[in-house]
Amino acid sequence: MSRKKSPPPRLRVRGLTRRFGDVDVVKGLDLDLKAGAAVALVGRNGAGKSTVLRCVSAADVPTAGTVELDGVKVEERSPLTRRDMAVVMDDMDFFPDLSVVEHLDLFARAHAVPDAEAVVDAVLHEVRLVPQSGQLPGTLSSGQRRRLALASAFVRPRKLLVLDEPEARLDSAGLEWLVERLRREKADGLGILLASHDASLVEAVADSVLDLDQRS
Amino acid sequence: MSGQGPQLRELRQQIRVWRRGRADKRLVDALSDAYVAVFATAMLTSMAVSVVLNVRTVAGTCTTTPCTDARAALPWLTGLALVAGALAVAGLFGPMLVSPAVGSWLLSTPVDRTALLRPRLAGTGTVAFALAAVVAAGVSALSGFPVEAIAAYGGCVGAACLLAVGLAAVCQARRLRWLRLLTWVLAAAVWAGLVALTLDAVPAAAAATGTGWEVALVVAAVLAVATLVRAYADLARLGRDQLAPGGTLVPGLSGALAGLDFALVYDVLVERRWRARSTVRSVRGRGVGGSALAWREVVRLRRSPGVLVVLFAALVLPYLGDSLGLGRADLLLAAATGFLASLGLFSSLRVLSRTPSLVRCLPLTPAAVRSACLSVPSAVLLVWALATEPALQSAAGLAATDAVPLAVAVGVTAVAAVVRWVSGRPPDYQLPLVTSPMGAVPTSLYVSAARGFDVLVLGSAPLLLAPTSTGAAISIALDGIVLAVLLNRP
Repeated sequence: MSRKKSPPPRLRVRGLTRRFGDVDVVKGLDLDLKAGAAVALVGRNGAGKSTVLRCVSAADVPTAGTVELDGVKVEERSPLTRRDMAVVMDDMDFFPDLSVVEHLDLFARAHAVPDAEAVVDAVLHEVRLVPQSGQLPGTLSSGQRRRLALASAFVRPRKLLVLDEPEARLDSAGLEWLVERLRREKADGLGILLASHDASLVEAVADSVLDLDQRS
Repeated sequence: MSGQGPQLRELRQQIRVWRRGRADKRLVDALSDAYVAVFATAMLTSMAVSVVLNVRTVAGTCTTTPCTDARAALPWLTGLALVAGALAVAGLFGPMLVSPAVGSWLLSTPVDRTALLRPRLAGTGTVAFALAAVVAAGVSALSGFPVEAIAAYGGCVGAACLLAVGLAAVCQARRLRWLRLLTWVLAAAVWAGLVALTLDAVPAAAAATGTGWEVALVVAAVLAVATLVRAYADLARLGRDQLAPGGTLVPGLSGALAGLDFALVYDVLVERRWRARSTVRSVRGRGVGGSALAWREVVRLRRSPGVLVVLFAALVLPYLGDSLGLGRADLLLAAATGFLASLGLFSSLRVLSRTPSLVRCLPLTPAAVRSACLSVPSAVLLVWALATEPALQSAAGLAATDAVPLAVAVGVTAVAAVVRWVSGRPPDYQLPLVTSPMGAVPTSLYVSAARGFDVLVLGSAPLLLAPTSTGAAISIALDGIVLAVLLNRP
């Protein structure tokens, strides 16, 4: 009787190490994330949460180790990686001369989303940025910029969401929306890897928690 | 402190005591460190004097009509350009401004703001006067003015720039909006003068001679003093919302200039411009993938027609170069003009170069993203270059058909130079530093200052050596290699 081979996890991280000078910020990290599941990275400031996320999203090159998405090595220059992985980090910046709605429209069309206008309008409504749709990013509040960054991840197709402290600068209503949205994303079969300091968000969304303080 | 509340003099005294307490260098140490700057200034000054003397000798041989016209119009154009520049810079910074620290800590106290701002207005005016007077005196010396007229002309232009600063201060205090319009009108006047020179249509009456500047100096000085008096009286009207924006601009610009990172200066100014605009009429996109990015470039051009106006107004320069008899050097002038005047077209490529997080949002290779952003601005620049073809043809003495490849090569060279400039990375302070008399500097610091101009010289060299189709082909090939490397790098 042949055994049915189980599909690879959506995200597989093996032996991830990132060294800065003589300091190993992350050492030998292994992580599996299945489709429809969420893993939260927690830990004090400087524990290496953002470093892990940057290495997973290929924004940074690990000193050692591998990162695979659906069995394919993650590469920053690969269009496949960019297509499948939606990343919202703290360094998200915007075009100074494109309005809120134009940013979302551009991302949706660049990803060849069918009926881009309708998708953009729905997400814009969801993140409560309709009144600011014609505003330029430089004039948005920090919370509104955060909503725009999160919205940019939701107007495009994705298999894995990588979020660095997505709750940062959101008000309580925004946090409630985020929890609800991430639960829906999981239900739709997406994998979510997030770093957070918000215990309520982690508890509400994450299926497993990786405490980087415990590893060091 | 006195019982009536804080006096500015007391606050200044206190700040001075704190600063002196932290000083880790004596005046004599600072002076000994400054010897390089003093030595360099002395050398540059002697070189400048030598150039002026040589040019004045050569000016005696300037007998053709275009040459004499240019000499005659040069002082007028320089004066107008300096005043327009003074207005533009004054309007950009305020001209009255306070640093973020002063804005937070001093303006929130009940100190006399007028007393705080008065020395700043005097300092700004002095700098404007001195810089403009020195530049104007140099230009009038090159134009063959007698010594007395050089002083009068320099003083006149300096006073006009002082007047411009005073006007800008009054406009700032009274929240008047016409300063920008006046700047554009003066810039348009300079452009019209260049066109008249190119068309050999400078009216004889407009020729600037070395006489009569004393009267102009007196008039300009009286107007400048009157405006400054008005500006001093209006200082009390200035609120923190008017003083802070210029102050927030200074740290960013000075930091960028300290690192010779001119692209960062550009970023700071672009960011400020769009922040001031606040909202736009949103336009939905077209196409998918890379074509969606290219369509955004079309929208950008429609949104910033001023960039196109500046680019096509700059067309006058290659034609002026031809009419002045620059010969082959006109090819270099055309490429340099295209490079510098089109920087505003490539803003999205600049944003993507400095912000990898944006590129990560797009499902295309970095090369495809950059190529898509490049497509529309490059096409515009190539059209611009083709419009210089008659000037290049005349300058290089070629048949019309042979000049088209030259114009294309000029356009491609300008595109390659712009891409090199906008995709530059800031100086890397993680790299090993090199010791210099001015302290430790990263090796990439000096390269960043020459960025763009290196490719300009590389692409222009074959055109200057062989202004033929072969030279154009070699130039385009070199530019193609540069573009391929720049577009494909990680």
